Amino acid sequence: MSVVSEASGAQWRADFKSHRSTKAFRIQMLLLFSCVAVSLLSLGVGAVNIPLDVILNSLFNLDGQKQTYIIWKSRLPRVLIALLAGASLAVSGVIVQAIIRNPLASPKIMGINSGAALAALGTVMFLPNVPVTYLPVAAALGGIVAAVVVLFAAHLRQVSPARLALVGIAVGMVCDAGVDYLLVTAATLEISNPLVWLTGSLWARTWVHVQSIWLPLIGLLGLTMVLSYQLDLQQLGDQTARGLGQSTNKMRLLLLGVATLLASISVGVVGVIGFIGLMSPHISRSLVGGRHRLLLPTAALVGALLVVLADAVGRAIAPPLEVSAGILSAMLGAPYFIWIMSRSQKGQST
Amino acid sequence: MSIVLANVISGYEEFMLKSINLTIQKGSYAALIGPNGCGKSTLLKTIGQITKLKSGSITVDDQEIHRLPAKTVARQIAFLPQSPVVPTGISVEQLVGYGRAPHQSLLGIRSRRDVEIVEEALCTSGLYTFKDRALKDLSGGQRQRAFIAMCLAQDTPYIMLDEPTSYLDIRYQYETLDLLQQLNSQGRTVVVVLHDIAQASRYADHLVVMRDGAIFAEGTPHEVVSPSLVSSVYEINTSVYADPVSQTPVVTPV
Repeated sequence: MSVVSEASGAQWRADFKSHRSTKAFRIQMLLLFSCVAVSLLSLGVGAVNIPLDVILNSLFNLDGQKQTYIIWKSRLPRVLIALLAGASLAVSGVIVQAIIRNPLASPKIMGINSGAALAALGTVMFLPNVPVTYLPVAAALGGIVAAVVVLFAAHLRQVSPARLALVGIAVGMVCDAGVDYLLVTAATLEISNPLVWLTGSLWARTWVHVQSIWLPLIGLLGLTMVLSYQLDLQQLGDQTARGLGQSTNKMRLLLLGVATLLASISVGVVGVIGFIGLMSPHISRSLVGGRHRLLLPTAALVGALLVVLADAVGRAIAPPLEVSAGILSAMLGAPYFIWIMSRSQKGQST
Repeated sequence: MSIVLANVISGYEEFMLKSINLTIQKGSYAALIGPNGCGKSTLLKTIGQITKLKSGSITVDDQEIHRLPAKTVARQIAFLPQSPVVPTGISVEQLVGYGRAPHQSLLGIRSRRDVEIVEEALCTSGLYTFKDRALKDLSGGQRQRAFIAMCLAQDTPYIMLDEPTSYLDIRYQYETLDLLQQLNSQGRTVVVVLHDIAQASRYADHLVVMRDGAIFAEGTPHEVVSPSLVSSVYEINTSVYADPVSQTPVVTPV
């Protein structure tokens, strides 16, 4: 027994060593570096522009000029939330695409985002005394309810991917209609804040929000990495996966649960940035291929980078006004996304 | 040592298998044939535990496999669906590697032995030179070989394939059947769903003919294939003659 595990350990180390010399590893390092760089720059832009040396002084408590209050109280939590939410939305998208096996699939198509948005908006409007820390909880509940409704409606015999997508779209539309109804029936003054949040904004996010989401999101991201090989098998289709010994229905439920929580908790704190969940998996697949052990961390980095970048640009365009990260991530990412798609179409001419 | 089905019922409301009793001897190359919708695919999926058993029992080497976990079954039986999903961004070697999943933990970490078996499967299927190519870039026939290599890497005594020759041109059809024959001669039991009676007769040593969810006839191709069988199963009139190359029965309409 120990001989076997020793041998597999050696193989694992060999695989890891060879990974460090691959293109995928270099891409991941580049993405990681970009995330750090953009995050630092993001700390500097906004109503008050702060130069890089002052940012570093404030962050690491070095001697010299500092802007500790703005950096620590206002911008750092915001950047952290952008990184976490971006990574979570992207990973949620990877999971949903592996399960539904459709290039158009994303958490949004499962009705998750809309369910989460409706629940969070309803909470803001009808229970104004609920503290903001509980908004992700409300959103998560909304996302779960939407996902459960989708599963029940689709689970006539077995969970079939196509049925999941179709029912998901329908449930999503009903929730979107609910959101619109709440917005048009509310008094104008009440809705300006929710409206900003619905477009996917990081405006006025603070440490309170970070505290309420970091642990569940990091935990779920870790769990997804553990299940990365099972996602590979899911991606092969139900029959093949079952032939390879996966309990496909149970695994799919677990994975959908993880995807639902990742997306809806993110929606609860940054609003609907739907495009990240669709775009990041595709961009990442074209960069590192379809194996989830590589795809998941890459997609997480791409998602984090996109949201941090969108938030930074949104603050830099016309300070002190802000453009929502949801709007900007779509505007920044879409052209690149279309380019990637047209390129991969050519590659798959067979 | 064999697969034994006793009073097997499975399927869905609109289509059910009707109490199947069947024995597939270890080491045989068995083909399930019959008209569209006769239940041959459902039967194969039921044996492979892809479709749940409603009642009856399936024993493989004296173990009731419908009571075993999916992973344990996958170490006994490899199953290839009719048109498997072709994943994006996966190389041939990676696909074949997934065949090791039933022998690995949840994490799918490879052992040295896994690497060796995958290499062997790539060589046997003649895909070693293609191993780094993206699956999506291969021709239909090469893809099918890659999926068979995946089943091979699963290292099971039994291999089930649901219509492995459909959508392939004639060269790849025979190439696939030859590869299966090679695996069979190396001691693996092959069970395959086929549409072409002549192909089934040429390659299989055990034909199972199905109609309306039940087994209509079984035996060697020479015993089973006759004009009267074809007319009662497929409802067409045919003449049967011996294939000039293999001397096995060929069916042609009259």
